[in-house]
Amino acid sequence: MSTSAFRLGRSTGMGLAGEALTVLYVLLVLVFFIYPAAWIFIASFKTPETMFSDGPARFTVANYVSLMHTGFGRNMLNSFYLCLVSVLISTAVSIAAAYCFSRMRFRGRNILFGAVLLGQTFPWIILVTPLFIFFARLGLLNNHLSLMVVYIAVTIPFSVYMLVGYLEGIPVSLDEAALIDGASHLQILVLIILPLMMPGVVATATYSFLVCWSEYLFALAFLTTTELKTMPLVLQTFFGDNVVEWNHVMAASVLTTLPTLLIFLPVQSQLTSGLGSGAVK
Amino acid sequence: MHSPRFVAAALTPAFLFLSCFYLYPILFNVGNSLTDTTLFQLKNGGEFVGLANFAELLSSPDFFRVLWNTVFWLTFVGVSTRVLLGLALALALNSRIIERMKVRTLFRILILVPWATPPIVAIVIWRWMLDARVGELNKLLLALGFIDQPIAFLGTAAWVWPALIVIITWNTLPLMALSFLASLQSLPEELVEAAAIDGASPLQVVRYIYLPHLKPTIIVMILMSTFWTFNNFVYVWLTTGAGPGYYTNVMATEVYIKAFIDGRLGYSSAVGVVMALLMGAFGILYMRIVTQRSRFGGVM
Repeated sequence: MSTSAFRLGRSTGMGLAGEALTVLYVLLVLVFFIYPAAWIFIASFKTPETMFSDGPARFTVANYVSLMHTGFGRNMLNSFYLCLVSVLISTAVSIAAAYCFSRMRFRGRNILFGAVLLGQTFPWIILVTPLFIFFARLGLLNNHLSLMVVYIAVTIPFSVYMLVGYLEGIPVSLDEAALIDGASHLQILVLIILPLMMPGVVATATYSFLVCWSEYLFALAFLTTTELKTMPLVLQTFFGDNVVEWNHVMAASVLTTLPTLLIFLPVQSQLTSGLGSGAVK
Repeated sequence: MHSPRFVAAALTPAFLFLSCFYLYPILFNVGNSLTDTTLFQLKNGGEFVGLANFAELLSSPDFFRVLWNTVFWLTFVGVSTRVLLGLALALALNSRIIERMKVRTLFRILILVPWATPPIVAIVIWRWMLDARVGELNKLLLALGFIDQPIAFLGTAAWVWPALIVIITWNTLPLMALSFLASLQSLPEELVEAAAIDGASPLQVVRYIYLPHLKPTIIVMILMSTFWTFNNFVYVWLTTGAGPGYYTNVMATEVYIKAFIDGRLGYSSAVGVVMALLMGAFGILYMRIVTQRSRFGGVM
């Protein structure tokens, strides 16, 4: 947190009423943000009978134990493995492309960069039917490979946008000096620029991970075998039209959210400053 | 710098993925939108029907309601709520009083909770919060005496859109507020102090110093959230299933319903093409803004 940033109210005299309103607003937003999540967290440790009653609650880990007996551990593993592999490949591919767009002069650069940016604007829903038919013909439905390549493709446009933004903040004179010293472009990228852009790479990869982790649509279309499904899909099946398995819903919600919360914590400020400015420095 | 071989090697993987799993499906959709293909005769494909699907779509009153729901409710109301509340939150968090209370770090951690929550979980949480029988919101409103009867927020036409906006705002406001806050903290202090010494009021400081400084961030965030929200499928589908009836049907859910429930793949593709064209036009605007400001390769 920068200490030099000006704070409204120091010398401009917001007045007592203004300050009271500010505090009230922040408190209200805080309750709005935290109350529902805290309730789910607590409810996940209550017995199903006392979950919704106003009476005294009885606490237990039985919901989690029962959830694991449904095979949810397998689904957690699926999500982790699918997201991790997709994000690693997508980020590596995006670093190479972003470096080109930021540093290299070549014909058609603006058009190609524009095409990548435009990729962010296309609705994923229109990709579902064609890709479903495509993978059905290749016999790749109910196969993690199909989901993986799609996750890689859909996270590339945003990653390239973010990474170009970070690269623009690294002086090009570094590259030029290394070039004069006889380094190859690959050496410059891997040995000089990559270490410098690491905070941006980590933030971008984290964001891609969250996108894959919460992805529902493609997973719904491509996976029908329960053992292959990812966490969001299985969570939705507990939420049946007629019977809601509240004990499983609550426990699965907590287990689906905790990993993203933990990996977000260290990179949040990197991500927010990068996203807003992005390529617009 | 200049090296055609390096450029080709570095760009090929990205464009290979994008061509196979982005460009190809989009072109497939365009072709499909000109046919009457159904889900049940996928093997043979449908007959070529020209622009018949588009003609039907443009003469259908249902389609215009879907368009209105998407453009006005989901996108316009959804995005502007987020931007205005996010701006207010960033300014509040940046204020002297919040700094004195030393709660900002705590807040920055707590604000991550709704942001890190996957949409599917956010929807589960809020479907319970807004439930007519066991929902906390109804309990609260009943206890305070604001209502006599519980309200089925997600099943009542008057409430369902505001309720959806609440869910989306809960999930997306943190990112908005934190981006604005990050931008506010890069503002040189001297600027605001000079204005204060010259007798500027807090409102004038916001109007003439904060907002101009925040402007690029605000523009980028509005554009990006517009894509994300306009194209979003899960919020509406998993919260209301486009209901009650088809009351909250938006373009993304319409594409899904027409393809997988009505089985009309050709018509569904036509809806998808219109959707992509609308966002594509918006995207060109976005691209111009991003590429105009960036000189690529220069030191910004």
